[in-house]
Amino acid sequence: MINVNVSLYGSLARFGGGRHVAQINVELEANSGKLDLLTHLSIPEKERGYLFINAVLCEVPGIRTGANEPLHNGDHIGIFSVDRLYPYQYRDGLPISEGLKKTLEKHGVMHHSYGK
Amino acid sequence: MAKKILRINMTSLKAVYEDVPERWSRWAGRGLTSAITCEEVDPLCHPLGPNNKLIIAPGWVTGSPAAPSSGRTSFGGKSPLTGGIKESNAGGLSGQMIAKLGLAAIVVEGTPAKGKWYTLVVSKDGVKFEDASDLLGKGMYEVDELLWKKYPKTAVIGIGQAGEMKLSNAGISVNDPENKPGRYAGRGGMGAVMGSRGVKAMVIVDAGGPGVEISNQDLFKQGRKKLTESIQEHGLTKKGGGLNSFGTAVLVNILNEAGGLPTRNFSAGQFEGATKISGEAMAEVCEKRGGEGTMGHGCHPGCIIKCSNIYPNESGEAIVSCIEYETTWAMGANCGIDNLDFIAQMTRECNDIGLDTIEAGNAVAVAMEGGLLPFGDAEGALKTFDEIRKGTPLGRILGQGVEATAKAFGVSRVPVVKHQSMPAYEPRAVKGIGVTYATTPMGADHTAGYTIAPEIAGVSGKLDPLSDEGKAELSLTFQAATAFIDSTGYCLFIAFPILDIAKGWEGMAESVSGVTGLNITGADVIPIGKEILKMERLFNEKAGFTAEDDRPPEFMREESLPPHNVKWSITNEQLDSVYAWVHNGEPA
Repeated sequence: MINVNVSLYGSLARFGGGRHVAQINVELEANSGKLDLLTHLSIPEKERGYLFINAVLCEVPGIRTGANEPLHNGDHIGIFSVDRLYPYQYRDGLPISEGLKKTLEKHGVMHHSYGK
Repeated sequence: MAKKILRINMTSLKAVYEDVPERWSRWAGRGLTSAITCEEVDPLCHPLGPNNKLIIAPGWVTGSPAAPSSGRTSFGGKSPLTGGIKESNAGGLSGQMIAKLGLAAIVVEGTPAKGKWYTLVVSKDGVKFEDASDLLGKGMYEVDELLWKKYPKTAVIGIGQAGEMKLSNAGISVNDPENKPGRYAGRGGMGAVMGSRGVKAMVIVDAGGPGVEISNQDLFKQGRKKLTESIQEHGLTKKGGGLNSFGTAVLVNILNEAGGLPTRNFSAGQFEGATKISGEAMAEVCEKRGGEGTMGHGCHPGCIIKCSNIYPNESGEAIVSCIEYETTWAMGANCGIDNLDFIAQMTRECNDIGLDTIEAGNAVAVAMEGGLLPFGDAEGALKTFDEIRKGTPLGRILGQGVEATAKAFGVSRVPVVKHQSMPAYEPRAVKGIGVTYATTPMGADHTAGYTIAPEIAGVSGKLDPLSDEGKAELSLTFQAATAFIDSTGYCLFIAFPILDIAKGWEGMAESVSGVTGLNITGADVIPIGKEILKMERLFNEKAGFTAEDDRPPEFMREESLPPHNVKWSITNEQLDSVYAWVHNGEPA
């Protein structure tokens, strides 16, 4: 088993017992990944926005990478609801996961609203 | 009726109205303050001397009937902090009222007899020069209150004690609809420029003014409708969206998760107490304490985004409006402080004394690194503002900003560009913003290169954000788009809906064209923005700036930033390429 620390922001805080922000520890099977955590938390896909694992951007609103980045004991995951303000220039140059990188290469340049 | 320029001479205590010269007739807001500064201010003058000027201009659409979220006022001149050109803009009541008086700009020049201070009352009948000796030494909360007793429901532009002392971190306050001094043209020390003109306050009385002439009503209404709808539809700007629910401090947690939240004087990119100082935490406090506390507060009439807040004490009484992202970061994470109540009190001190919260918080953080206080000492940090208010030697050092504080305390980690301190985005983690910090004519400024998606602007944006390539071109595009939006009078936050929703982009251009009669389309935004940047860049060159001033601070190339353990890696050649076009004959 592994233990990961999860921060849930905005309306997603309710999945961790909070109002607007919640921090919880989650126990998962060894060899679990990002998708296993999301299944465990039961967060509806349409409510999910930016997702970080150890300060690396792995998901953005409106695009699903399908990548199941592996999680390790002690990892930190931050998950934001879709209504987050995160202007382009404040993420230009930021470390992103290989899974997101590949998805963005297919999708096109980064934008505020990826679904548009 | 054509707009006028109101020129107020503080030496002769006379005011005259002038026609707007043809060469300036297409400018407003930042474009106009920069055009006048370039033409009338000697780039080599002392910023506090008789040859500097304070230029105030509303944007193109400011004051027009129900143009959404369009209350910005630009304040321009030569900056005492950077030594270069400065435009700093604020919300609040002033822009719309100045525009309704039929004014394109107010130019305040000259200096009065030594020791004389004035309140300028600007109305349709002209300018009254009132003795302001009764306001001297007072903070902006009291100044606003006293002036509203005499001139109710007016716009009050003023300076606190910091501006009277002509400190380089003195900002200019504009009152909000509740007559509180929370709206600041904070950056660059323009409050000291106002103080050096002998002006403690300006009262703008718009009653009976001619209003803003609309050149093409149908086009204006069409543009206004499109823009309003796009703001109301966009997830970030709509009612109940990210900005409305959690304010600009909605950025705290996301930058922290990204490892880009500068912490303890830019020594780390994550702060363990970030959630406690975030917009989400502010919303929880407002809900729990109730009373006057609220998120979703508007800083000026007609704002439909409403990203401001009123932060309450435990009894529900307002402490301050508002705690912005940069403010809660500067007083919070960057000082290692995770207590919102103290951050609120420090913000109130800044609003009262008349200080830019970014520079002020950064100065405290540098002083902490220099040993004045330990990081995290909230009570000690709050007391430093008393020192500034009283004008003690320590207070005057802190009030001069980060660079002076670093020298006084022997600190070499000095997060400045062109002598102005960096805002709340770590350039080593978020490299794109670092190019803008380094190269904008304004000094390190997050709003100088605001959001524009690369494909909208016709820039071939790089898909790989880890690559350093392409960031120069992107930064220039950001800077040009910002210079344009700063001229419209619209709040920068319209950037999201206008970029994500096609009718919003059209609506912005159409509403500007409808008001002004200028034939501006979306394709003109970047070229017009570049014209403004060129003026500003050339002013700075004449003031003595060189390529060496377009550099991030040395420590960012030397020290790795956790958690990503990255250093600044963009080359000087890449930085120099951002403005190479100014001298290579390329048209703006």
